[in-house]
Amino acid sequence: MKRAMDGGSELHAGSGSGELVALLEAVSRGDRQAFASLYDRTSAKLYGICLRLLGSEAEAQDVLQDVYVIVWEKAGRFDPSKAGAITWLAVLARNRAIDRLRRRSVGTDAIEAAAHIEDESPSAFDIVEQADNAARLGRCLEQLEEHSRSMIRSAFLDGASYPELAEREGVPLGTMKSWIRRGLQRLRGCLER
Amino acid sequence: MIDEPDPPSAPADLAAEYALGVLTGDELRRARDLAQTDAQFRADVARWSGRLAPILDEAEPVAAPSGAWANIQNRIGPTEDGGNVVQLRRSVNQWRGIAAAMSALAACLAIVLVTGIPRTTTRAPVPVVQPAAAPLVAMLGDRQQQMKVVASWDPAARQLVLAVTGDMKSDPAHSHELWVIPADGKPRSLGTMGSGKQMHMRLADTLAKLLQQGATIAISVEPPGGSPTGAPTGPVVASGSLSEA
Repeated sequence: MKRAMDGGSELHAGSGSGELVALLEAVSRGDRQAFASLYDRTSAKLYGICLRLLGSEAEAQDVLQDVYVIVWEKAGRFDPSKAGAITWLAVLARNRAIDRLRRRSVGTDAIEAAAHIEDESPSAFDIVEQADNAARLGRCLEQLEEHSRSMIRSAFLDGASYPELAEREGVPLGTMKSWIRRGLQRLRGCLER
Repeated sequence: MIDEPDPPSAPADLAAEYALGVLTGDELRRARDLAQTDAQFRADVARWSGRLAPILDEAEPVAAPSGAWANIQNRIGPTEDGGNVVQLRRSVNQWRGIAAAMSALAACLAIVLVTGIPRTTTRAPVPVVQPAAAPLVAMLGDRQQQMKVVASWDPAARQLVLAVTGDMKSDPAHSHELWVIPADGKPRSLGTMGSGKQMHMRLADTLAKLLQQGATIAISVEPPGGSPTGAPTGPVVASGSLSEA
């Protein structure tokens, strides 16, 4: 969590963030050059996220391509008053990668799940970020018990699901759920303070 | 694994779990349904996504595979308005070409007039001989398309010419500041803009070096006299990237 805690965190207003906002605005008007610049500046970050979650280069590339096609079509959904540009892009990439992971793991439910996934999940485009987000999260995660903290981190960054976390830790699914739920509740309490 | 039946999550918990991405099966389906139908749920998920997002800082950037960009371009379809832009650029280029030829000609004439026909090569060559880097042009547009700024950069003369068309809203309480954002992503100020429709700026070497193909030129709204911090502080009203004219 070290990097996420310091104030100069990448996913935060820093150098170039205003520029990414401008690029996204230009992309929403159909500006292809702006789209190319946006890709140049953000694709390594987004590909890194996809690769981390999916572990497979081919799948990560697939999802990365999907993400930029979505960005091209939906850049107008980005609202700079609610979240930073890189945060919006990173969460979008992360959510698509999670969708892909879940589709991979549902097995027999695959067809049904895929049908759901093709739906545009509205939450994917709505991200509300508070000022000082990274520092605040870092501080609040520190206050959680070690296992809650590492489970939450692993879920968000590595895409581990409840059943996977339970198996990894060798605890019943219900136990894992209550650990994480309790962790999230405490996290919210701290973040809203 | 034997498991006590767990009670379904309360919606507030479910939103957090959905944003975290841990749900599977029926719970995941339930969350997706709620995200479609329940605005409160959606707002909770949005807030949680923002809260957790800084964790993604830990994912190291990795250069995307080289084929990805071509695939993306294929999927977003053929250029719709690119033709116009290219056309515009071409005509700008033509005019620039004519202007450059005229000034080269003028310079030749001036030298001839002053010195007679140059006899030796000891004198500085006329400008047209110099293998100048290609001029670059950026089209800067605002969101409402109410104004357009064409920025032309002549590296040989280190001169940036701005031509404003349409209405660039200005008021005495604010200045428009011009920025170059090179590949490193750090905006550098090129100075504030006057209210004229055309401006010429000669840039120092250190700034001139940053005006490369692909660099972004942007205009932001700043306090009178420009940003107090050296970085853009107000909204960007127009931007575009430099490319060969």
